[in-house]
Amino acid sequence: MKKDNQLEELLRIPVHMKLHYRFPAGTHYTRFFREMKDSGKIMGVKCTQCGRVLVPPRPVCGECFVKTGDWVPVGPKGTVKAYTSIYIKFIDGSTGKPRPSPYGSGLIQLDGAFSTINHILEEGDPEKLYIGMRVEAVLKEKREGNIGDILFFKTIT
Amino acid sequence: MGRRTAIIGTGQTRHCSKREDVNQMELVYEAATAALKDAEMTVKDIDAVVLANMELFEGRALPDMWCGEGAGAFMKHAFKISTGGTSGTSGAISGYYHVASGLFNTAMVVGFEKHSDGNTSAGMALTDPFWDRHIAAAAIGNFALSVSEYMADRGVTEEQSAKVAVKARRNACNNPHAHLQMPDLTVKEVLESPMLAYPVHRLEMCPQSDGACAIIYAGEELAKKKCSRPAWVRAAVTRHDHIYLGEVKNRLSTIRSLKEAARVAYKMVGIKEPLKEFDVAEIYDPLTYAEIAWYEALGFCKDREGGRLIDDGLTRMDGELPVNPSGGVISTNPVGASGTIRVAEGALQIHGKGGKRQVPDVNLVLVTGYGVYCWSDVMILSGRPD
Repeated sequence: MKKDNQLEELLRIPVHMKLHYRFPAGTHYTRFFREMKDSGKIMGVKCTQCGRVLVPPRPVCGECFVKTGDWVPVGPKGTVKAYTSIYIKFIDGSTGKPRPSPYGSGLIQLDGAFSTINHILEEGDPEKLYIGMRVEAVLKEKREGNIGDILFFKTIT
Repeated sequence: MGRRTAIIGTGQTRHCSKREDVNQMELVYEAATAALKDAEMTVKDIDAVVLANMELFEGRALPDMWCGEGAGAFMKHAFKISTGGTSGTSGAISGYYHVASGLFNTAMVVGFEKHSDGNTSAGMALTDPFWDRHIAAAAIGNFALSVSEYMADRGVTEEQSAKVAVKARRNACNNPHAHLQMPDLTVKEVLESPMLAYPVHRLEMCPQSDGACAIIYAGEELAKKKCSRPAWVRAAVTRHDHIYLGEVKNRLSTIRSLKEAARVAYKMVGIKEPLKEFDVAEIYDPLTYAEIAWYEALGFCKDREGGRLIDDGLTRMDGELPVNPSGGVISTNPVGASGTIRVAEGALQIHGKGGKRQVPDVNLVLVTGYGVYCWSDVMILSGRPD
């Protein structure tokens, strides 16, 4: 490594980027987000071979490599299978702005689903969070057709 | 297995938080030339080049093009491997395949990352755009979720986790390349460091480092000619699990990809009691809790006994199986290089070039890589070709 005085002489070239993307959601994600937007229902899809109900729903089961079959309603209630409380500032990937912290984050198994989804919890105090706690999805009133239509999961008893 | 293949040279930069004195290609060049020097070879002796890097962190595509010259890739068979945290071990395994296949007589692998050039949290936020980005809280957020499951399932304590941090940063003091060297670190200081994501404190998590690491493979004949004690590759196995964290139940306890890769690798070499049979392990520990979980998954102990292993000091430098004499990933983490460093540090122990971190009489070494939500790589290196 070079000495400090040599380091001072070297240039740093700052670059700022603003990038725009548009991701086609495909048949299954489109149906999931449209159903949630239009009727407020959360749906999973069942593998015809292993029987797992997948959320996110996918046209092919990764484990069995066969086409998935029937759509089944899941949630909106569910169980916290893992939790944390995030203390450091993170950029909200959907807005590009930092999210206020600390906030609760969990892996939630929606009733009827095999998999869990990672989402924000209403409860942010790690002392009050526990595995097995019951929660329910709170949806936006004016929904847009993306995962942000679930605002957070509120604690229920 | 292909033809007998060994690592005959390794090279590393001094890893640290900011290498503003060099650009990415120059960083790659430092590690590549150090490995060539170690192997007593010139760039003309290298037939194939594999680069490993997490390209999004530096905000620049095609790192193999921009940095390939630094690894001597001009007019050579060369390409890049990017598999998240496992990039460095996957790259190392790819380099091995090149030579073991018999199609190339030598191969150089260079893993590198220059976190300070870019924006790692933006890179980490660029996950699946439909499901993950809305809630992404980088590696820390999703590991913390898994820690809550693991603690509940296996009863590991915060103190045991902190002991891993202390072991790692003390070991790092013996490694002239390591980033975080903390000779006097205590359990109390670890647990009093700022909370990142409950229950993970800053000193329990890996840092972001700038650094590069290179290894050189040769086929049997050349390896024996060039190296007095080649590090023979005895097993190299990669396994990938599902793409969404929500499908990997109880990640740190289950870790199917690591268990399966280890099962296959152990079978290839005939390992039955890993804690006794391995002389050193260099395992990819993105955070302290993962190291304890990997002890269990790798069969160093039974489930629920990982914490006891650290309490009893069995994985310290003077223990039955020293784990991460280098200080590990939680001491040094240039991500694309972190896996390659594990392989290089493992080979170094067989070469007998470990300096202050050398473990005596090393013959059999276990190396692992960990990446994304649940990718695993396992390699076994030995002082004997079979």
